Amino acid sequence: MKDKCIDIKQGIKLHLVKTDLFKTNLSVLFITIPLDRTTITEDVIIPEILKSGSNTYKRQIEISNKLDEMYGATLEAGVDKTGKNLVIKLYIESIDDEFLPNGEENLKNSVDTLIDIAFNPYITDEGFNREYVNIEKERRRIVIESQKDDKDSYAYERIISIMYNDTEFGINKNGYLEDIEKINEKSLYNRYKDIIKDGKIDIFIAGNINEEYVKNLVLNNKYINNLNERDISKYLVDIEKYEKNRKEKVENIVEKMDVTQGKLVIGLDVLEKVKSDDRFKILIYNTILGDGANSKLFKNVREKASLAYTCKSNYVVQKSNIFIRAGIEIENYNKALEVINNELDNMRNGKFEDEDLENAKRYIYSGIDAIKEEQNTAIIFFYGEEVSLNKVTIEEYYEKIKNITREDIIEIAKRVNINTIYFLRNNN
Amino acid sequence: MQVIENDLIKEKVYIKKLKNGLTMMCIPKKNTSKKYIIFATNYGSMDDRFIVPGEENETIVPDGVAHFLEHKLFEQENGRNSLDVLSSLGVNANAYTTNNHTAYLYECTNNFYEALDEFMNYVQSPYFTDENVEKEKGIINQEIGMYDDQPEWKVYLNALEALYVKNKVKIDPAGTVQTVSKINKEILYKCYNNFYKSSNMVIVVSGNFEAEEIFKEIEKRVIKEDSKEIAKKVFEEEPEEVNKKLIKKNMDVNIPIFMLGIKCKKINSINILDNSIEQIRKHIAVDIILDIILGSGSKLYNELYDEGLIFSEFSSMYEYARDYSHILIQSQSYEYEKVVDRMKKQFEEFKNTGFNDVDFNRSKRKNYGMYVREFEDVESIGNNFVDSFFKGINPFDFIEESKNIDKEYVEKILKEDFKEDSMILSIITNK
Repeated sequence: MKDKCIDIKQGIKLHLVKTDLFKTNLSVLFITIPLDRTTITEDVIIPEILKSGSNTYKRQIEISNKLDEMYGATLEAGVDKTGKNLVIKLYIESIDDEFLPNGEENLKNSVDTLIDIAFNPYITDEGFNREYVNIEKERRRIVIESQKDDKDSYAYERIISIMYNDTEFGINKNGYLEDIEKINEKSLYNRYKDIIKDGKIDIFIAGNINEEYVKNLVLNNKYINNLNERDISKYLVDIEKYEKNRKEKVENIVEKMDVTQGKLVIGLDVLEKVKSDDRFKILIYNTILGDGANSKLFKNVREKASLAYTCKSNYVVQKSNIFIRAGIEIENYNKALEVINNELDNMRNGKFEDEDLENAKRYIYSGIDAIKEEQNTAIIFFYGEEVSLNKVTIEEYYEKIKNITREDIIEIAKRVNINTIYFLRNNN
Repeated sequence: MQVIENDLIKEKVYIKKLKNGLTMMCIPKKNTSKKYIIFATNYGSMDDRFIVPGEENETIVPDGVAHFLEHKLFEQENGRNSLDVLSSLGVNANAYTTNNHTAYLYECTNNFYEALDEFMNYVQSPYFTDENVEKEKGIINQEIGMYDDQPEWKVYLNALEALYVKNKVKIDPAGTVQTVSKINKEILYKCYNNFYKSSNMVIVVSGNFEAEEIFKEIEKRVIKEDSKEIAKKVFEEEPEEVNKKLIKKNMDVNIPIFMLGIKCKKINSINILDNSIEQIRKHIAVDIILDIILGSGSKLYNELYDEGLIFSEFSSMYEYARDYSHILIQSQSYEYEKVVDRMKKQFEEFKNTGFNDVDFNRSKRKNYGMYVREFEDVESIGNNFVDSFFKGINPFDFIEESKNIDKEYVEKILKEDFKEDSMILSIITNK
């Protein structure tokens, strides 16, 4: 799969991803805006409002019926954090025209409906529909209050907000309770207009598509034509600008809740200035440490010490962080920390085999292969490159991984330092 | 070799049965470089009672054995762990246990045949010791602990507990800390030797394969067995009535979670598993009923959403096998009693009025799309064929039957199965 980019206007791009591997096609809109504590709650409500009705399909049930008619197309809306940015996402997935019994045009309908929902909202009296806004405000309150229901993801979100002190990457992407009250249909519509005016807009159409046809479909759409040009340089991410210093003292946080199992999360910094190829080295380091069944954490915390069912780590490239996560018996807290610390030390001292490095590389190659084999994975990768100033193609990506040596990994391991240890435990 | 084809979705399945009884299926996908294989046995968490050939007495094993076996098979006599070996080849290996089957699988773009050696070897060569069995208990207990903290899982298990008096579909596939503590290597070997026999198993592959060729490669790696005879599973007769009307459990959740369960007409009385088309028609009918009455385009869902009584779509499922059959519908609400009441009223109303053509045709289309999606990629294809194999159905039939299904039949299923007496409620709430 390749990303064929077409500039619609400055700051607005169409990406055509042609593939004949699937039964479905995928039409996606990403709007990139700054991650901002003052607007986050509005920003996360906006896609929900758009989903509630457009000027063409005024009620949610009309949108649903339209999607059902398209052989059960699915519409999803939401937001994601990527480093300093927030991305508003709208997805429509529908069955490819080739597999429809009566020659219907699902792809055209998907593209039109996606654009309609995003750029032709249902407006009355210079505001969104008040009733919809009230429903979505109430839903937002509930989403925020329910964050604690899923203890694993709660623990993960908690450590991030602690480490980043509720700023930028530490901003809660679900929004904040105290902001909800002041939102109304007019303020929300004003915020929407700002987003549409300034945000970086990327439209991805993937599937067994006729590229010329889809291009014309989008370029001739009047709502697309109405969009203004915009400067998007502030959204581009340069990871090399990033630098971290050693924290004087590791932060230890214990919180209590009604849980059977303790949820341990350890936030690691990769110190010093990030150099151009560091992200590939850190990726391999993280794979050896805690990604997959061959990793040090899986083998030692789970298989050897039987302390956990899951123990893994993930790498957040935009912030040079690694997070280790494990579900453990409450009383095994110290034991688990000891085993994990020991593994971090082993990595620093080069106590890993060449085979570990080769295994990690193979694991990453198969992840790169997946970019070519999964529509959504491909779109996420292409989008990541789109907003990055440190771009690589899929081919270069393989090459970078291939060239990394054992010494590179040890160099990274020595820069890895614990920032915060968070433990969610029971009340007793 | 048998070949079944579907013109509409342009897929073919090749099926071959070996002399030792192993069934192999191949669904070629020429353009993809991804390959998927899944090897499964007709033995799951509910199969805790059986009679071994040649023995007179019934064997009863503790809950959680099938899942324990799934964990332990990876460990090999040479001290290697097959999950490590497969991972180091760059393939994504995994395994899972359901009520009625246990499956081992991997997906990859490279090294398929190297991985196949290890894969087929480890599933066919158990190695259990007192020590490695004891060690696994710590890991499994943490897995149980992880699920214990998940309210969605609890509401589901409690719904099954409410629906069934005896049927073992209601147990947690992992067992409990107590039952797991009773498992030992003798029990594991006994279950393995009786149920992991070729004649009780199926292998499905999907990807860029020539059926003839891959079947030969699999056959080469099949380990010879002395007998084809499988232990006879013992089932207890399940009464038609539900076990309990209501189960409520306290957990730390913000909004109560509820699950409405419906125990469906006993399927062994109409012997649905001997009639695969009838099974599929019923499944489609249930999907259509749930969509028209509760789906995202339904009147009730949109009303409840607008009134702030529910906050997201209902998730619903129809689960069935040889001796159980039920519908489960889940959502969250502060006022779940009101919501459940409105749902039940809506069932009754549709029983009286029937469905209108617009709704019915819309829902038929939506379901068609849903069934086509089951063939989206090699992984969903593989899982779909394994699940269907143990149900005795052909997944292509969903595509054909969903075009042909008629309204009267769907209305008949609504009347037969959506009965107040057969409904239960499972609630998770913090008060």
